[in-house]
Amino acid sequence: MSDASPAIRVNGARKVYKLFVGAPARDAVHDVSLEVAPGTIHGLLGPNGAGKTTTLKMLLGLVRPSAGTFTILGEDSTRPSGRRKAGFMPEQPYFPQHLTAEHALRLYAQLAGVPNGEIPGRTAELLERVGLSGWGRGALSTFSRGMQQRLGIAQALISKPEVVILDEPASGLDPVGQRDVRNLMLALRDAGVTVLLSSHQLSEVETVCDEVTILNGGLVAAEGRIDDLLNVAGRTSIRARDLGDALPDAVRPVAESVAVSGSTWVFSVPDDSVRMVVDAIDEAGGRLVSVTPMRDSLEDYFARLLARTAGEVESR
Amino acid sequence: MMSRVWPIAAGVIADSIRRKIVYVLLVFAALLALAIPALPSYGLGVESAVFREVAMALAYLTVLVIALSLAANRVPSEVERRTVYNVVGKAVARWEYIVGTWLGIFLVAGGSLAAFTVVEIAVGYLTYGEVMWQLWHGAVAIWLEMGVLSAVAVAVSSITGPVVVVTATLSVLFLGHGRSALLGGEGALALAPFVPSLEAFNVVNPVAHGSGVPPLYMLSMFAVFAGLSGIALAVGAVLFGRRDL
Repeated sequence: MSDASPAIRVNGARKVYKLFVGAPARDAVHDVSLEVAPGTIHGLLGPNGAGKTTTLKMLLGLVRPSAGTFTILGEDSTRPSGRRKAGFMPEQPYFPQHLTAEHALRLYAQLAGVPNGEIPGRTAELLERVGLSGWGRGALSTFSRGMQQRLGIAQALISKPEVVILDEPASGLDPVGQRDVRNLMLALRDAGVTVLLSSHQLSEVETVCDEVTILNGGLVAAEGRIDDLLNVAGRTSIRARDLGDALPDAVRPVAESVAVSGSTWVFSVPDDSVRMVVDAIDEAGGRLVSVTPMRDSLEDYFARLLARTAGEVESR
Repeated sequence: MMSRVWPIAAGVIADSIRRKIVYVLLVFAALLALAIPALPSYGLGVESAVFREVAMALAYLTVLVIALSLAANRVPSEVERRTVYNVVGKAVARWEYIVGTWLGIFLVAGGSLAAFTVVEIAVGYLTYGEVMWQLWHGAVAIWLEMGVLSAVAVAVSSITGPVVVVTATLSVLFLGHGRSALLGGEGALALAPFVPSLEAFNVVNPVAHGSGVPPLYMLSMFAVFAGLSGIALAVGAVLFGRRDL
């Protein structure tokens, strides 16, 4: 986290649902705090029921928090005035089906306070940006799931927000669409926009996010920079080719997680053995392809974290 | 404020234009209006008065169905389909959404009434050779009452579904028009002051049998409309504001 005041701050968020008086209370969110630095992409991860969407809804005033404070660019975002500089795309966005894409964007632009004179230009620009140019006059009832998703992103950006909150933006998109959304998020970050992204797609999060907060059972299970979370302390990953049928004798005792594909070997070694291993590969006539800090996949990290914190959640 | 309320109202109007029910009801009502002169109960010398009375009843029922069908479904369906997220997730207050929705329904009801009243007056002129301008007074009274009932319906719909909305709104309608009959009996008199009366909008006599509604009474109807609608919308805004979406 940088020293600048956060673009988004959630402090002590809690949401308790109680269907009726006397009914047992159910915590959807127990205690969540997070901060998103300006101009970064922050991922919000967690299994189903972890409290991601409820946290976002509390942040945007869609759900009344039982406790906690929520600010966007320093303003209370549970109040309408605090959301003026924010754009939000809900999970699986839906639109009034009788409208065209242009009419829908016009409606949302008016609601967001975009001056009337700017709406046509901005609408055309955004439709092109999300890959819907030529569809402006198409009835939304004829739009596919993916096209509605793209329009959802466009409506979130209609007011040129400084903060964008996206709930599962790549859901329902084909691989090309997912790539487009990733590129769009990166372009937003390059333009100084802060992005808070809730997603199940770990590869998407790993690719674009600077920091993540992982929720489990309504609690923060982990948070921090992706590299800090995924790098395995003390170990280095080695990729080498043409080593023959076996690793050199000097390497074998220190190598772990060994995998072979064709003539390529991938394994990890302790950091203090790297010099010795590189020399051994040279002496054995092998070709070194890469030497990088060993890094977990986000999938593996996520699975291990959830298994580790499951007990804490159950004991609450 | 209106910069956000008006687009929401315009959305309701656009949606209602798409709905076939509005056209079907208006055409059906217009056909019935054409048939009014054929009613068997017509007596010599009172034809035009009876025409105006029946025409007003027809207009009332038609616009009531239109207003209720819009008001009962709009908010619940927007919440269920989550289209409301794209609206209140922006810098739009919940009360602006409620007022905008109501305003759209109110204007659709007004447009429908205006169209229907033009048909009624045309039929009246062609049948009796008389321009029944008093029907406009009746249309305004019906419109204002529909405004109140729409406000009640939107308020109830902010927390519940269409069936409850229709039931509650019709209950208010019957109670509002039958206050003296329902609560006027011995032992129930004390409740009457708590039940808002819709009788202020009952202008059948001056429209059908008199010379129209006096301007001062018309103004007072607007005051009643503003008060009752305002109370209903305020309740709706509070209820919707407290609701988790």
